[in-house]
Amino acid sequence: MRKIICIPLRTVFILVTLLSFFSCSNNDDLSDLNATIMVRHKNADMPAYIYGNGSEKVFLITLHGGPGSIGLGFRNSTFKNKIEKACAVVYFDQRGSGMSQGSYSENGISIDIMAEDVLALVKVLKHKYGSDSRFFLMGHSWGGCLGTATLLKNQNEFLGWIEIDGMHNPKGMYSRYIENFELIANQQINEGNSIDFWESTLNLINTVPLIYDESAFFDMNNKAFNAEVKLGRDGVINKPRNDSDVLFEYNFITALSTGGNTQAILIDQGLLETVTYTNRLSEITIPSLILWGKYDMVLPVSFAQEAYDNLGSSSKELVLFEDSGHEPMFSEADLFAEKVIQFIDENK
Amino acid sequence: MNKCIFVFLLLLTLCINAQEQRTTLSFLDRTEFKIGYSGNVIWNNGLTFGAEYLWKEKVKIKDRKRGKRTNTHQFLFNSTLGFTTNFSSKTDTGLFTNFGLTWRRTNKKGKQFSIAFNPLGYYRSFLPETYEVKGNDVKKVFLPGRGYYAPSLSIGLGRLRKGKTLTGRYFNINFMLRTPYNTGTVPSVSLQYGFRFNFKKKK
Repeated sequence: MRKIICIPLRTVFILVTLLSFFSCSNNDDLSDLNATIMVRHKNADMPAYIYGNGSEKVFLITLHGGPGSIGLGFRNSTFKNKIEKACAVVYFDQRGSGMSQGSYSENGISIDIMAEDVLALVKVLKHKYGSDSRFFLMGHSWGGCLGTATLLKNQNEFLGWIEIDGMHNPKGMYSRYIENFELIANQQINEGNSIDFWESTLNLINTVPLIYDESAFFDMNNKAFNAEVKLGRDGVINKPRNDSDVLFEYNFITALSTGGNTQAILIDQGLLETVTYTNRLSEITIPSLILWGKYDMVLPVSFAQEAYDNLGSSSKELVLFEDSGHEPMFSEADLFAEKVIQFIDENK
Repeated sequence: MNKCIFVFLLLLTLCINAQEQRTTLSFLDRTEFKIGYSGNVIWNNGLTFGAEYLWKEKVKIKDRKRGKRTNTHQFLFNSTLGFTTNFSSKTDTGLFTNFGLTWRRTNKKGKQFSIAFNPLGYYRSFLPETYEVKGNDVKKVFLPGRGYYAPSLSIGLGRLRKGKTLTGRYFNINFMLRTPYNTGTVPSVSLQYGFRFNFKKKK
């Protein structure tokens, strides 16, 4: 009888030990953080991958693009070797992105809820690392939209805001594409670069409707990414070198499937047609750093000046990367790291 | 949902036991066990354990120029318990179980082709250190993870080793869905390679 009871008990003990092992983070040494924690908020479990030097309890929270991309996509060698030496970097898989999971209806995805998720992440980090922890927020592309929405909810949690080629005005993208393509295409044709491609670009903008059309938007969006490839090949910009090793960390079937759904839901909610924070940027008063690639074809550089002019911060700086497109953190990585570290040092 | 799945699985087990009592062959005579690798090599790797209980069998003999061709068609109840993890991250670990029906054809040379449909499946993810935020409250979650309904379909090849304890090996491509996952359903593809064995077939 005793044996009959002992064997299941032993099995339960082994199972609990194994499962506890998988529930543990492997490094809580603040000077060299390497931890994965999950934030459970409003029916979603979202991973935050925390790396770097947290000895000063300064955390840089990064918001990835997409919507629906992956948090660790930022983590190239410059982040690892430079920015993570200066502070702890939190790479966050947003709701419905990367390896985040959960169970909620389409109403469970919105900019508002996703901004609350970021504030929930701050609460978790304070709970884990102490209420004296300090935070900077960084958003790239779509992360610029989410970051702005987060700050408009509660900017008191953050010491500074870094917008990298950000989407603070999604509604404005459609008309800016047309203006920017016309400008850059004519420049490149005059310089004799990839003439066929730029002529086809001019043809495209001559055929798209002048008011928002989803299909035309994505035609121009695809063209914008292709345009940056051409600019890279023609030596106008540096080719982005993203050496982040995420191939094994993300199951791409899962990440693409769930990220695609999230993007579609946000677009159906009118992200690209109705959402703009330009008129509310003046409410953001924390120190701000705006980093933009001069040849960004996806979010044209005119948005950078718009952000700089409208932000309400008394301490703000605009840095244009002369040899970059949409991803200056990969095409001018050293300058990018220098500017980010300098900003954090000045405001921490 | 989880309770419903549990009740289904329980009923299925009872069905299998009931079947056993009606036949002359013992449960172990009709049952093969299996163990194998399950994963997609790049992201998920794991092990599966399972059993296949022979429900129906039909032997078809056809005359051919080179002699008689014998094909055996079997329907088997199939159950699997598996564990999967991604060694590069801590966000993709889970235990799963599924139950269903397998159709398997075995030719004269022992080559097998099978299709398994498992409408009853459950996947339980195990997450790393998790904190739940409700308003301003932050609490650490005990044994964090989520349960999903996870039906699956496997198509595979195998080889029968007649009269041996190790009765064969198999290679399947498995397609599993997990739902509700975020706002919808998430697919996963895995390869399964393993061995079947039956302790009663020692001759």
